[in-house]
Amino acid sequence: MLLEFVQWIQLTGFFTALRGSAYVYPIVLSLHMVGIALFGGMILITDLRLLGWGMRKRSIAEVVNQFRVPKRWGLLLTVTCGFLMFGSKAEEYYYNAFFRTKLILLALVLVAELVFYRGVYANPAALDQAPSVPGNAKLAAALSLLLWTSIACCGRGIGYIEPPLDKIHARIHVIYDAALTVPRGLYIQKGQDHQDVSANQRHSGRAE
Amino acid sequence: MLIENPLNSSALAFPILECFHIVGFALSIGTIAIVDFSLLGIGMSRQTPAQLSKDTSLWTLGGLVVMLFSGLLLFSSDPDMYYLNWPFLIKMFFFVSAVIFHYTIHRKAVSSDTPPPNGKLIAGASLFLWCGVIFGGIFIGFVYPGLSFSRV
Repeated sequence: MLLEFVQWIQLTGFFTALRGSAYVYPIVLSLHMVGIALFGGMILITDLRLLGWGMRKRSIAEVVNQFRVPKRWGLLLTVTCGFLMFGSKAEEYYYNAFFRTKLILLALVLVAELVFYRGVYANPAALDQAPSVPGNAKLAAALSLLLWTSIACCGRGIGYIEPPLDKIHARIHVIYDAALTVPRGLYIQKGQDHQDVSANQRHSGRAE
Repeated sequence: MLIENPLNSSALAFPILECFHIVGFALSIGTIAIVDFSLLGIGMSRQTPAQLSKDTSLWTLGGLVVMLFSGLLLFSSDPDMYYLNWPFLIKMFFFVSAVIFHYTIHRKAVSSDTPPPNGKLIAGASLFLWCGVIFGGIFIGFVYPGLSFSRV
């Protein structure tokens, strides 16, 4: 059922058009990375403050409360771009072990957020009144650091897994383009984006 | 004489270095963006940009060092490919400009507690330069090596 759902998503007109453009995917990926830079930095700094390693001159309440809204905007940008990339090749992502791991880790972030919400994030002013940062706040920060860096690494890993091309239904109608038809051995070795790899293999397959 | 780069003998070396590169730039560009947003008047209203800059400068530098060294190692895996890759050259232009800008004009703008009248312009320029670095980095993997702009 899940497989049918991802097949349906990638074959919608919007995502078919998105997949067909050689420019849109790298632009969306770049915006995804911009989101990581702007929003990821705030997560790291918030965690470092809770651990007592950074921004120690500011109170925990100031750091947590001030970054809350900008972090949400950054998350919105990153998730939107991520969803656009997923939708354009949903079936390939479905089979991708790193993508699956990434989703599980994102779910764990949500769980951690719910578990620590009352004790840590909802009332950061209380943490400032304690003589030292309470253990559960430090645990929340350490988990957040671990989960978010793992999520970023899994995201990078997605591009390194070759999709099972015999199972993929979406045809990649990339307009014949010098960049995609020239043999790209160097890139394939380094696990570049699999759209290029699969397009390449289809072209060579057709020629034979 | 050819010397084999040990990085190329392991399939895992490149992706692991990329992860360090990503965390490094999230930390460095992220902390710079915090100061820039503050200059622009978005969020972070309780502190002046100068205070935020002092609070985060060490982490910015740390992130830059991680990003730079992992980047140099990534580059070393295949230098002539990068040399012929136009997004890489644009990225380097943006990166050098961004670092120089950060430690001269940007640093001066956040050195006193009252930001200069053109503070917003400086923040915008800083964000633009760093976003250029990110875009260049992503596009490296999407073009065939070559200096021709028609090959995107």
